[in-house]
Amino acid sequence: MNPPALPFTLEAPLGSAFRLQYHDLGPRERPPRLALVAGLSGLELNGVFVLARLADFLTSLERRGDGPRLRERVLILPAVNLSGLNARSRTWSYEDSDLNRAFPGSEEGDSSQRIAAAVLELTRPAYYRVDVHSSNLDIEELPQVRLYAPNDDERASACLFGLPAILERPLNPHFGASLAHAWRQYGGENFVIQSGLAGQLQPGHCETVFRALLAFLERTDMVEGLSLADMEEDLHYFGLDQTLPLLAGQPGLFVPRIELGRWVQAGERLGSVYDGFGGQVRAEVLAPVGGLVASLRRQPLAYAGDLLVRLLSPRPLDDRLDWLLHDQAQ
Amino acid sequence: MNDEPEIFYTLPLPFGAALPLWRRCFGTGPGPRVAVTAGIHGDELEGVYLCHRLAAWLEALEQRAPEALRGRIELYPALNPTALDGLRRTIPGCETDLNRSFPGHPQGLPAQRLAHAVLQALDGCDLVVDVHASNRYLQELPQVRIEQRWAETLLPLARVLGLPLIWVHGAVNILESSLASNLNRRATPCLLLELGNGDSHTPAYAESLCAGLLRLWRHLGVLDDESEQAGPASLLAGDDDIQVVHSDSAGGLFLPTVQVGERVFAGQSLGRIVSPLRARPLAETVAPSDGLLFTLRRAHPVPQGTLLARIVTDTEVRP
Repeated sequence: MNPPALPFTLEAPLGSAFRLQYHDLGPRERPPRLALVAGLSGLELNGVFVLARLADFLTSLERRGDGPRLRERVLILPAVNLSGLNARSRTWSYEDSDLNRAFPGSEEGDSSQRIAAAVLELTRPAYYRVDVHSSNLDIEELPQVRLYAPNDDERASACLFGLPAILERPLNPHFGASLAHAWRQYGGENFVIQSGLAGQLQPGHCETVFRALLAFLERTDMVEGLSLADMEEDLHYFGLDQTLPLLAGQPGLFVPRIELGRWVQAGERLGSVYDGFGGQVRAEVLAPVGGLVASLRRQPLAYAGDLLVRLLSPRPLDDRLDWLLHDQAQ
Repeated sequence: MNDEPEIFYTLPLPFGAALPLWRRCFGTGPGPRVAVTAGIHGDELEGVYLCHRLAAWLEALEQRAPEALRGRIELYPALNPTALDGLRRTIPGCETDLNRSFPGHPQGLPAQRLAHAVLQALDGCDLVVDVHASNRYLQELPQVRIEQRWAETLLPLARVLGLPLIWVHGAVNILESSLASNLNRRATPCLLLELGNGDSHTPAYAESLCAGLLRLWRHLGVLDDESEQAGPASLLAGDDDIQVVHSDSAGGLFLPTVQVGERVFAGQSLGRIVSPLRARPLAETVAPSDGLLFTLRRAHPVPQGTLLARIVTDTEVRP
């Protein structure tokens, strides 16, 4: 049987029509308990792969009939931006528009708004909703849960994923047209998961997020009979006042000296910025405080002001970082 | 006195060259200080060309009658210079939309540093006109767009410009981080203009906008000229007066049969959507109501749901 598709088909001008398919798993007679979305950007492949693999795994549980069982209905949209994925482009190709800036969308709007409206219509009945992202082409992100102006239920449930970091942020006006923001209108509990680097498929990060989603399904009783082996969890909760972005003071070529996910001490060398012509070191990047390396620059070319490393400190920092909320990459 | 073009901010780049922000200032009189900003998106050239025309007019004025310039006029033609060099919308390198980076921060990310420098440079102006040129897909009749909350201050100024349309619209979340919104929040009045389309310039639009700006600057007392004349009346529209036309047919090649600025009537054909493989059109696009056609899609391949046209309703027009 073909998987269901959203109730519209987008006719491409010269290519074939787009049918946005999704997985509808578990007891269909119930309202969905969980909706998982990935691939709003055509470059964020980790999330697409994880959700596709998760759909395959949950489908196999349904087929087997014995062993672990899916007790609740789960909707999975692994790949929303079909034209962007085909074109290896972040945006929806026909309008060159960012689908995650098109919400809540409109059934009467342009093609990106119609997609947004349909995705929202499908996912809003679910109580839990997760939008899975994979950063951008420059910055690699440690798998993490992001919460925007959350309530206490969301704070508690975010821990159930067991990912190494949970970042809490106030609402960002720049994200007013994002899916996560649109979901907030309908209550429930909403999460954004970030992991890895856009344009890549990183098996290690994918495995971490896959296990996190399984842990969430198991701990919320959506799946029964599942045992997750060797889950060593060392999760930490970070507010905006515990986030320290280290920006390039000098332009040049950035070479990191540490790995993502490591805890570093104050004064430790995190990387160097080299002069791209003369080859000499222009600046050493040192950790001003101890903390977890949650984001690491992978694009070596750095302008003055480009993000090199994002540290998460176990203690609140003095500097106010409200300005960071206006950063489009946050 | 005619100042030379100056660089008011420089962002160093990794390989030698720097990203300079240029401006040209005219006049040192005690009168009002006004500015024109353009090129915040690197694919929008209408304002860049407009600045060239204004610079030419102001240079001639300084030769002919320097005393007529009572205040100060500042031209910022290229707020996103490396993007303009490559005809790209966003800042090359970080691919960030500069007009979603305000208010910025002096020690922030590259786009935030540029945004902060621009905002600092414009601080204290009595009026800023921020010129945009749509995108490569849609052609726009020259228009002023004003968010409702600033209408009381900006509408009287917009009327003096005399562009065909003033669109007073509701709040748009994503524009909170735009230059115009941030200037208005800081009590520096800023008119946002849209005209033409991306990747090209329209000399006729620049000439009428030049005339409108000179009229506005005379009105404000920046220019001393007794010959102030009323400009053409603008059509004033709110969101409820705008009809948006989308493609509801299968995707194909949109072939417009009208032009922006035309008055159209309900049922009139605006264009056809055709298939390159068939003679018979896939669909006819018609105007939903009488009015002024002020936005029109260029002859491009369009998927279903594409915005094809916008009309400001005008029930007085009849075929």
